[in-house]
Amino acid sequence: MTVALKSWKALGTSVHVITTHDDGFEPATTAVRQVLEDVDATYSRFRADSELTRVNASAGRTIQISPLLAMAIELALRGARLTDGAVDPTIGRAIRVAGYDDDFSRISLESPHVVPGGPGKEIRLRAERVPGWQAIRLERRSRTVWMPQGVELDLGSTGKALAADLAATAAMAAAGGGGVLVSLGGDIATAGEPPSGGWRILVAEDSRVRPDGDGDVICVPSGGVATSSTTVRRWSRAGAVLHHIIDPKTSLPTSGPFRTVTVVAATCTDANIASTGAIVRGEAALDWLTSCRLPARLVENDGTIHYIGPWPDPASVAA
Amino acid sequence: MAGVTDLQGGLRHSRVMDALTPTQRDRGLQRLRRLTFGATAGGLIAVVGVSYAAAASYAGKSSSSGTALSATTTTGTTTSSSSSATTSNSLQSATPAPTTGTTGSGTVTSGGS
Repeated sequence: MTVALKSWKALGTSVHVITTHDDGFEPATTAVRQVLEDVDATYSRFRADSELTRVNASAGRTIQISPLLAMAIELALRGARLTDGAVDPTIGRAIRVAGYDDDFSRISLESPHVVPGGPGKEIRLRAERVPGWQAIRLERRSRTVWMPQGVELDLGSTGKALAADLAATAAMAAAGGGGVLVSLGGDIATAGEPPSGGWRILVAEDSRVRPDGDGDVICVPSGGVATSSTTVRRWSRAGAVLHHIIDPKTSLPTSGPFRTVTVVAATCTDANIASTGAIVRGEAALDWLTSCRLPARLVENDGTIHYIGPWPDPASVAA
Repeated sequence: MAGVTDLQGGLRHSRVMDALTPTQRDRGLQRLRRLTFGATAGGLIAVVGVSYAAAASYAGKSSSSGTALSATTTTGTTTSSSSSATTSNSLQSATPAPTTGTTGSGTVTSGGS
């Protein structure tokens, strides 16, 4: 079965589109581009003219929003609910204050973004309290949203995964047959009929690793795959190395035992909610993912790997 | 003496009751039933109304949580739809489950970004 692949950059990350039908490749690629342009214009945190930026600037007032933004916020709230707040869209201000305040390619990897400490004169990173997802009021029927003043939404976690799901669905409709895979910076969504044996995916800690590199290769017949990792998108403030996964309880980057978590689920959005939620939950992630019955691969900070649920046994390769 | 006084009062009250005709008594009972029904219905409507208003804008939730998100989303010039699985009340697993790629390399990489 022919597999066509195209890659480019969008949403501050890499995009890969694969189709199993040559005929549907160009329409599928065009559809993915269109979805990503819409997503960027709707809920990019780094565009002054995005709808999300206007919403964040309108905190304290009830405003009408587009169907796409309503969907993105609804899924973000669902993610927060299903993870008991571990994946919280109201971390926008906290992550901005921590230093991730622009497209990652443009932020300074080191700056003195600190405040003086107490009597001991220690230097502390400034942390902003996360208001909590319960503060958001979304009315789906009238498509309006309200949030308290000071709250800033960041849909980066579930938003990118939703973009992958939407792009795969649109690409499949445009391709008219076969199967489609869309990867946005390592968050993968599939649609349609997979290649024989399933979509072959290398599981790594960094999405920039070439797919023919070393590591576990899994075959996914359908659904989505997401990897969350503290080993990428790192920067430094006041001598402290920071990353982009914020713990809503501390308003600071997570410091749990797992550095990378990969999950396979029915959709990329669900996989992303689980992988990000697991990083934030820390030690409790093993029991939580087990109870979710999702195949998962967790890498501890010291490199130890745990496989959860129906994750394919890598030992079967050697056998 | 206090007992006598009470008895006398009771007798006076009894006389007033006895003065009512059966028709007047029926009208009084009907009025009481109407008042009781009205109060019950009003309370029920109030409870339902408040519950509906609370559910329609519950903090941290959308007004339609629990319903399938199968509606078409139109934004800009793109029309897309999302899976109803994304609105369920639990994280959904992929079926069938993934298998091990026994030979060869991957086609794409899943990793942090």
